[in-house]
Amino acid sequence: MGVLTIGCFPGLVGSAVYDFTLKLCDAAAAKGHKVNLWFSGNAAGSVKAHQKHLKDYSTGEKHLTALLEKGVEICTCEACSLARGVTKADAIPGVQWNAMHWYLAKIYSTDRLLHIGGE
Amino acid sequence: MADVKLAMVVQNPQYKGETPRLGITHAISYQTVEVLLEDGETITPTLCFVDKGVLGITKNQKAMEAYGITSTEGHLKNALLVDLDVLVCKEDLARYGIAEDQLVDAAEMGADKSIQVVPYSEIQKAISNAKHVLFF
Amino acid sequence: MKLGIFVSDYKPTAQILERIEADKLGIILVLNGVYHAVLKEEGKESGLLARTPHVYALSEDLATRGLTADQVDKRVKVVNYDGLVDVMFNEFEQLAWV
Repeated sequence: MGVLTIGCFPGLVGSAVYDFTLKLCDAAAAKGHKVNLWFSGNAAGSVKAHQKHLKDYSTGEKHLTALLEKGVEICTCEACSLARGVTKADAIPGVQWNAMHWYLAKIYSTDRLLHIGGE
Repeated sequence: MADVKLAMVVQNPQYKGETPRLGITHAISYQTVEVLLEDGETITPTLCFVDKGVLGITKNQKAMEAYGITSTEGHLKNALLVDLDVLVCKEDLARYGIAEDQLVDAAEMGADKSIQVVPYSEIQKAISNAKHVLFF
Repeated sequence: MKLGIFVSDYKPTAQILERIEADKLGIILVLNGVYHAVLKEEGKESGLLARTPHVYALSEDLATRGLTADQVDKRVKVVNYDGLVDVMFNEFEQLAWV
């Protein structure tokens, strides 16, 4: 099995790209691959806890928690999250907080990288 | 494996979304990634601008005055100051009528590197030689 | 270089798709990109289908849009998320999202 690193920039609410990212992480983890997930840009707003799951909206917390339980490493860009009013105190437990070099460090030893830019 | 090469390709202009700007700042972070790597392990990004991405690399950007945000010009100067290789597609500059002397430079800040205007074939080479490619 | 490019939009097509080269180039259609596998505009199918013989479309994204397998161009391999992970690891070395 290999290592898959994904950088996700598109935001949470209403973003099918975000949904795609989480489902891909889940599929890769289910197959036994090691998965690293980096949030920057608008995706860094998705780590806030106490999200209400409404069916019309992309949902982060429930799926992120499930991914963490499967051993997926999830890290948010601290600056991006703080800029969006999300603090460590009210973030989803288990999500790491770091700077951009966390993502580069994961990229260093990853087998496959999928960087998803865009809005 | 000591050095991992990355091609970070900006293909859209800035100031609508932030992703193109994040391309530059992620490239700059190669300077600090060593704190998380073993001795001797390095990452070498090549920052490339293609297609509409070349629109955002001209001088005299007033983003701070107009919107209170750091300009792409400022980030690009930092990129040059930390010795990043910045490649800009010659054909795309010509397509949009942008002259080379309109491009950002950081010489007055002491940067040793300048933006390199190159044919697309050189950017393709950077992509082909990289272990991973990231599009912004 | 074996490069798999994810295409998530129908229009406009990213310019880089027209010029990028690889020893093995793959197009992976996801989200609204799956429309490339199905639609014809003025009777002509998407130019992406002729770009490379290695074109994939995500089944969950086809189904989400009410598209069925029999509508998909014969040149496109339909894969689910599980199959997509295998494509990413087994068929390509570099992956890109444009």
